[in-house]
Amino acid sequence: MLGSTADSLFWMFRYIERVENTLCMIESGFQLYLLSSSNLNNEWDAILRTNSIRHHFLKKNNSLDSLNIINFMLKDPKNSNNILILIEKARENARRSRVSITSEVWEAINTCWLYLNEELNKKINESKIQTIIKNTREKIALIFGFLERSMLKNEIINFCYLGTFIERFDNTVRILNTRYYLLLDEKKIRFEGYDNFQLEMILRSISSYRSFMWKNQNEIKANKVSYFLISDKDMPKSLMFCVNETIKNLRSIHKKNFLKNKSYLNAINIQKKIKQKNRNFNNYSFLNSLFKLNMTLATNIEEEFNFR
Amino acid sequence: MTYFTKTYDEAFINENSVRTNYKKFISWYKNQDINELTKINSDAMKFFENTGVSFKVYSSDKKENLIPFDIIPRIINSKEWDKLVRGITQRVLAINFFLTDIYGQQEIIKHGVIPVDLIQNNAAFLKQMIGFTPPNKTYNHISGIDLIKTNSDNFYVLEDNVRVPSGASYMIENRDTMIKLFPELISRYKVSENRNYTKYLSEILKKSSPKKTKINPNIVLLTPGIYNSAFFEHAFLADKLGVELVEGKDLRVINKYLNMKTIDGWKRVDVIYRRIDDIFLDPLSFKEDSFLGVPGLMEVYRSKNVTIANAPGTGISDDKSIYSYIPDIIKFYLGQKPILKNVKTFKCRIKDELKYVLENLNKLVVKEVHGSGGYGMLVGPLASKTEISKFKNKIKKNPYSYIAQPTLSLSTCPIYTKKGLTPRHVDLRCFALLAQEKVTVTSGGLTRVALKKGSLVVNSSQGGGTKDTWILSS
Repeated sequence: MLGSTADSLFWMFRYIERVENTLCMIESGFQLYLLSSSNLNNEWDAILRTNSIRHHFLKKNNSLDSLNIINFMLKDPKNSNNILILIEKARENARRSRVSITSEVWEAINTCWLYLNEELNKKINESKIQTIIKNTREKIALIFGFLERSMLKNEIINFCYLGTFIERFDNTVRILNTRYYLLLDEKKIRFEGYDNFQLEMILRSISSYRSFMWKNQNEIKANKVSYFLISDKDMPKSLMFCVNETIKNLRSIHKKNFLKNKSYLNAINIQKKIKQKNRNFNNYSFLNSLFKLNMTLATNIEEEFNFR
Repeated sequence: MTYFTKTYDEAFINENSVRTNYKKFISWYKNQDINELTKINSDAMKFFENTGVSFKVYSSDKKENLIPFDIIPRIINSKEWDKLVRGITQRVLAINFFLTDIYGQQEIIKHGVIPVDLIQNNAAFLKQMIGFTPPNKTYNHISGIDLIKTNSDNFYVLEDNVRVPSGASYMIENRDTMIKLFPELISRYKVSENRNYTKYLSEILKKSSPKKTKINPNIVLLTPGIYNSAFFEHAFLADKLGVELVEGKDLRVINKYLNMKTIDGWKRVDVIYRRIDDIFLDPLSFKEDSFLGVPGLMEVYRSKNVTIANAPGTGISDDKSIYSYIPDIIKFYLGQKPILKNVKTFKCRIKDELKYVLENLNKLVVKEVHGSGGYGMLVGPLASKTEISKFKNKIKKNPYSYIAQPTLSLSTCPIYTKKGLTPRHVDLRCFALLAQEKVTVTSGGLTRVALKKGSLVVNSSQGGGTKDTWILSS
């Protein structure tokens, strides 16, 4: 397999995952907007910071107007991580690796791209935002469905999953990083005037509110939310789950030699860190170090497999 | 229905009388619900859009275009087809002999059949290839022969494309689309298969490997990248061939061999099916600032450690100035009469012919010798007076760069419109593969159709569309 093909597969799925994650955040913010929530500004502020685009947005806008933010995140050319650009990049990488993916996967990505280009190049009507998000998420689910059902279980799919889980880890750790203060211990939160509502918003921003409540008998507590997002190995967006999947896929690419590989060892190291910090993960530097380790891991993968 | 055409129509003798090839089809057509067909016609474009079958026109940056597809098939009977196959085979073999000679002993020049300046002053003639015999003595592994029909008996060859001819993927996709749209129709006819093209292509590439053993050679398809107009086809073919689709940056010359960069390190490459032009192949031998090729590739090639298909320098034989000599080339190497006719061609490099061309521009089609894709061309009967006089000056300035041909009465075929069938001009590109002096012509080809009424320009870059092409088996 060509190094450049591995590169395209990896990035195709990083971008697809990023589209999904960005849409989830837009959706959670939009819900608050519809409810005219008093927390609306805080929430948008957190979302913009999570995506590292707050500074860019405020250059052109004086206030955190919901529809302006949504427009900015969906299609504003000044935002280099807007949905249109992300899906364009995902499709470009799919085209580059067209020979490696099945026509089912390719067509699913292509139709998602066609759909977003058609919808987002029109003026975005408030009433259509939810439909666009819902339809796009369905189309993305189709990509992953066909990936699972139509592709050989070889190193090609391993690189698709590596991109997916490196990106997802990045997204979850960014969300935690932006809102780590909410995850400090209970008493302090009460004291600072935060409430469960904000914890709920964290869960909603990764569309995992229902599964959390189901697992925790409808009770939201900071330590439980942080456990859920960081260490819960059953939770598909948790750091533990992501790193476990990364390890699995790296092992499968390397076959026998995995113990010698830097990327594999680094992934194991991340896994170990998360295990050790099990009870004491509520500090910023811990999350920040995980964020950086994940970035290093991505670079390791790119180098080790001759992406460029 | 009013169906009227001044030139030879392949389906209708007149409004009420259908030619044999089309009888069955037209009677089927007449039983179809017109609204349903209109819907299917638009579904067809949706198919292409969703599968990403697209092509790009140079300079209209980023935008991908779909080549319009017409649902009415172009039908050719087996007798006509047999003659085409024999004619194409003859040309392809003769061209390979010509190339071997022209880069070797140059007997054809010594015998005065072809003027020496036509070769020597030609940019497509590569000095780097002189005195070198490519692996397996094959130059033109892959050819796309363009043909036109003017009456019931004759196909003329318009061009022998042997540089990097494209279109085979559309030939196959068009058939797939027809099968999806009209599943019952194709099975009713005995239409020859065309998807075996990729099987044959795979075979000839394997056979062309320089490896002595030829067991599982590593074949790659070299593309300029995703922004190239034919990228869809490159990916399509690599997929069907089961080979890696590579760009120049994936390849490197190491110890006199060509290698590709894989996730486990460098892996040797034996055969390149290249879809980039000669001058981009190797910056050390040709265009210095090219990033599309591989530095040192020509040296590997000359050491016979890799096969390049088609061979560098093959382009000299499809040069429009050489074209007019192809009948002589066939006679010279094969001692045979050409089976397929050439279109009468006036060479502006020859004084008398130039004079005739300049005096008759309003009747002629003038082509730039090195042009392709329908660019740099004058269609006399459709051009304005100013266009003609502008072109006249261009020819006078550089007569060596132009040839002229009479405007041919290209045959028409029916296309589908909401108002019913209507005639449009068509041509045909056939795909021929060569290995070890054996030519395989895939049954069918790509019919290109000028969608504008009266237009003779069928190029997809200029508003042409395509049709499925049916060869009826006998």
